[in-house]
Amino acid sequence: MQFVTCYVFYSFIFCYFFTGEEKSPLCEGCTIDIDDCTCQDIIDTFHSVNRQLDEMGILERLSGAAVTSIVHNQIQRYINTTCKGNFETSYIDHLEKWLDTKVLGWLNSIYAGEKNQCSISAFRGRLLHFLFETYAHARIEQLFAIVIDYPESEPAILDLKTCLEKTNLRALLMTSLRKELEDRLLHPGVNTTDILLAYISAIRSLRVLDPAGVILEIVSEPVRKYLRSREDTVRCIVLCLTEEGSNELLDELIKGQPLILEDDTCSDQEEGDWETWMPDPVDADPSSTSKSRRGSDIISMLVNIYGSKELFVNEYRTLLTDRILSQFNCDMERELRYLEMLKLRFGESQLHYCEVMLKDIADSKRINSRIVQEMDNAGQKMDIDINALILSAQFWPSFREEKITLPTEMQKSLEEYTKKFEALKGNRTLNWKPHLGMMKIEVEHKGTMLNFSVSPVHAAIIMKFQTQSRWDVEELSGVLQMSVSALRRKITYWQSQGLLKEEVPDTFVLVDEVKGQGHEVVMAEDESESAMTSAYQQREEELQVFWTYIVAMLTNLESLPLDRIHTMLRMFAVQGPSSSGEVSQQELKGFLDRQIKDQKLVYVSGVYRLPK
Amino acid sequence: MASQNQDPTAVNPACGDPGISAFPDGDNLFRWIGTIQGGQGTVYEGLKYKMVFEFPSGYPYQAPTVKFDSPCYHPNVDSHGNICLDILKEKWSALYDVRTVLLSVQSLLGEPNIDSPLNTHAAGLWQNQTLYKKHLLEKYEKDVRSKQST
Repeated sequence: MQFVTCYVFYSFIFCYFFTGEEKSPLCEGCTIDIDDCTCQDIIDTFHSVNRQLDEMGILERLSGAAVTSIVHNQIQRYINTTCKGNFETSYIDHLEKWLDTKVLGWLNSIYAGEKNQCSISAFRGRLLHFLFETYAHARIEQLFAIVIDYPESEPAILDLKTCLEKTNLRALLMTSLRKELEDRLLHPGVNTTDILLAYISAIRSLRVLDPAGVILEIVSEPVRKYLRSREDTVRCIVLCLTEEGSNELLDELIKGQPLILEDDTCSDQEEGDWETWMPDPVDADPSSTSKSRRGSDIISMLVNIYGSKELFVNEYRTLLTDRILSQFNCDMERELRYLEMLKLRFGESQLHYCEVMLKDIADSKRINSRIVQEMDNAGQKMDIDINALILSAQFWPSFREEKITLPTEMQKSLEEYTKKFEALKGNRTLNWKPHLGMMKIEVEHKGTMLNFSVSPVHAAIIMKFQTQSRWDVEELSGVLQMSVSALRRKITYWQSQGLLKEEVPDTFVLVDEVKGQGHEVVMAEDESESAMTSAYQQREEELQVFWTYIVAMLTNLESLPLDRIHTMLRMFAVQGPSSSGEVSQQELKGFLDRQIKDQKLVYVSGVYRLPK
Repeated sequence: MASQNQDPTAVNPACGDPGISAFPDGDNLFRWIGTIQGGQGTVYEGLKYKMVFEFPSGYPYQAPTVKFDSPCYHPNVDSHGNICLDILKEKWSALYDVRTVLLSVQSLLGEPNIDSPLNTHAAGLWQNQTLYKKHLLEKYEKDVRSKQST
């Protein structure tokens, strides 16, 4: 009862004290019209009550709890109203000043007696601590937004850093941010790019907050784990690295420090000045060196999600191949520049393949012009001008295969080209991949000229309609030696261009009236097909390597359960030269199940065996 | 141990050596189990034999111990499965590996050395291939097939 009275009494005065400056028709303090405001009376009474209580020596005992709780409430309210949502200004100094002038001013007016001065200054220390703590709490609550907003939110981060030094909230910060990251980022609805961006800004902002990198390491652990489970992470990172335009990763790349991998062993000796040396925080993981935490930059951190450079280099190679083979006119200078930058990062040897690839392209150009020139000199002319990209088979990723027999006109030109090449390059020959090429063709139909840039397969199809305007799908697929389904897919393009139509099911005829315009139509990248075998196919091929091991195993050991096959493969096959990395037990099981479906394997009572 | 010994691709059935294969017996790299099918055009065609390889610690400078696991009726194989083959004894060389041994044994099946038999009954019968084949199949039925079915 006594506390409540005191509380009401003091908080009323506090309100007056804090809002007294504002103008309003009603007095804020006593809510009576300003003209007959009774505030001054109340204040006088207030002071006299305080003085009398103080004289009796019971002021502290009577009011202490109430005063403290009012001050706390006010601090919380003030911080919430002023600082919330704004991360771009530093509030620490402002808050400290506010505490000194407003809050301590009020306290001074209550405890006006001289002997209380020292207790007030002690109280100030406690209040300051409380202020920092409340402020830190407010910031931690919004830390996710602060992290995302970095670098705009840098003042808030710096504030938080100061607060952390003075309070004991590090653990809270870590658990809350970690949880926040998990809740807001790590679910299927978020794009990988967004997660990566968040991770990058987390790296950058938490670096500022904690140069030792311990907070970052602990907080981002679930993010790293999650990213590892996403299929497109590597692709996203590599895309970010090589994308045109300014972005953070590119800037980092240009800085060009060599990559630091986690398992690189660093010497125990800190190179820094011993006087400024700081031990790692207590919550640091003792198994990793502090230098690896402090030193690595963003790209290293991203690469460390997987812990291996190969993965990234391979992905880069894939993307490079795609760019070269799908656009045909890629900007060589730009690619070379990137390659040089990546080499600084990933090391010369890792990117050797890519270097050869780029060199192939440059060489192709030279060989092309050479062959064309030779033909000119000899007065020959090919039926079709050919511009070949000559790729060294060993260094490019495996390509998507597609079967087709080109019309003789095309085939002849290709053979001529091959002959010239063989003459030029001695004991080397060309192995054409017609489905990966691009042809510029002119179609003259009923007096209109149409220009197209299409794949040779498309061109072959339309060429067949030159001699015969009606084709049955089966028949056509027989002539071109491609599957009916693939053929149908390709024909769709000509249908959409209005040149062919399906008159009766399975029979295509040339359209009589062409409504098309004469301008060049660049073929839309059909079904965004990649030049390379899909990841799935590649994996299947890799698993095929295991199959020979499994057959050898089962011929000799009769029958084996799944886990035995798995451990044996890990012992013998995975370390081999054709190592394709780990194979998980689930993946293996799926693979074996497919073999059972193909009747190459039998599964009886928990063990696999070969069919008799 | 030599790395070739660890590499079962050397005896990969897909690598152009039909009818032979071998694989380590469980986690023990020093004991392998091999399978041989009789060569085409020989009396052993269509028959399958299991073999056991045991590698001494001195391998490949010492020859592995190679024995038939399934009973094998053959002039140069005794009733315990021991094989009389020069490259497994005095003519062993560190260049041989599991694959070459298996190939040698496979060819030994079709071309036995009658002059130094371990199984004199078989050596005596070898001259008459029709009779030999009949006896061989009977033996194989009795000793090998019956074992497999149990």
